[in-house]
Amino acid sequence: MRGITPRREQGVADPVLAEMVHEMGLKEAPHYAAVKPTIQAYRRRWVELAPYREGTVNPKRVEVSDPVEITRQIKAKAAELGADLVGVCRLKPHMIDLGEDVPHEFVIACCVAEDYEKVMQGADAVEEEAMRTYVRCTEISNELAAQIRAMGYPARAHHNGGSEVQAIPIFYEVGFGELGRHGSLINEEYGASFRPGFVTTVLLLVEDRPREFGVQDFCMNCNVCQLNCPGDAIPQDYVVTHGIKRWLIDLEKCYPYSRLRNEYCHLCVDVCPYNVKSHSDTYRAFMKQRKQVGYKTPKAI
Amino acid sequence: MEKLYVNETGPDGVVSTVGLFYSQAEAQKIVAMLRANPDRAAYRYEVVEAVRQILSSKESRRAEPASKE
Repeated sequence: MRGITPRREQGVADPVLAEMVHEMGLKEAPHYAAVKPTIQAYRRRWVELAPYREGTVNPKRVEVSDPVEITRQIKAKAAELGADLVGVCRLKPHMIDLGEDVPHEFVIACCVAEDYEKVMQGADAVEEEAMRTYVRCTEISNELAAQIRAMGYPARAHHNGGSEVQAIPIFYEVGFGELGRHGSLINEEYGASFRPGFVTTVLLLVEDRPREFGVQDFCMNCNVCQLNCPGDAIPQDYVVTHGIKRWLIDLEKCYPYSRLRNEYCHLCVDVCPYNVKSHSDTYRAFMKQRKQVGYKTPKAI
Repeated sequence: MEKLYVNETGPDGVVSTVGLFYSQAEAQKIVAMLRANPDRAAYRYEVVEAVRQILSSKESRRAEPASKE
């Protein structure tokens, strides 16, 4: 199946970032050039695991007569490996990167929640937590794909070590949440503080369904992420893609605060009111800090 | 930098925004890749200035009664 959704390149392979880096007279974006040893180690880990995304498929296929039961077993295995949410849907062209061809019919989505409490320890702690979570997702999806191949069905893991699929449309389709104004998917329990890993396969599985709980309507009236963005990169206006509202982040305004300086910027996600459910005290304390430095906070804070 | 949307119009006439791009070259490269996909032969693609699209969608929303997209 051929993909139709463009993916932005990372680092100076992204023409927008490349132009900005060039104008500053640099060779690399500061965000990528200067990273802590722990973060470098996490990045090395997912690169090390990249060759194991695919592998030999057992020629002796285990016949699956009950897709409900095998789906239950796979979800249980993913949870055992450390996934906080697991869902399944049929793969569609808009879930695949433009220019890529993925020869599978189903996708298993896993997510690992980040520790939101890290926001109180500053930007570096938030990034380190994100990288730790990405590694966990890499390990889970690689292991899950290997187990499906051992049953005799082709399967490929998609994660930070290599991916041809798009997180947000898959997460929406499996019912993990809805797309928020800040450009990340919002889950009822975890807010937007989680990271993805995927497995695509030909194994027949039972699909989950999208689950909406009012995020897009809420975001229409809540401008907290927009008003807390130091670069004013989050727009007031939205576009519609495949029937879903999208507020497209202006990278020219975002990058000076996220890629063109050493310190990580995760503020749009950190200030989202959907964090209040899972981390009420931490969220309120963090937003009090924001209020003290002049940023908008929800009325209840 | 320029701000350009690539829009896709399906055989049913429904318009979907593919993404935001920052130069004609970047936007046209995406359009060429989409047009090269035989599965999308029935779809039309256009590059629109972001500001123009936002203004026109605001005008059309004002002209219509409130509805949920």
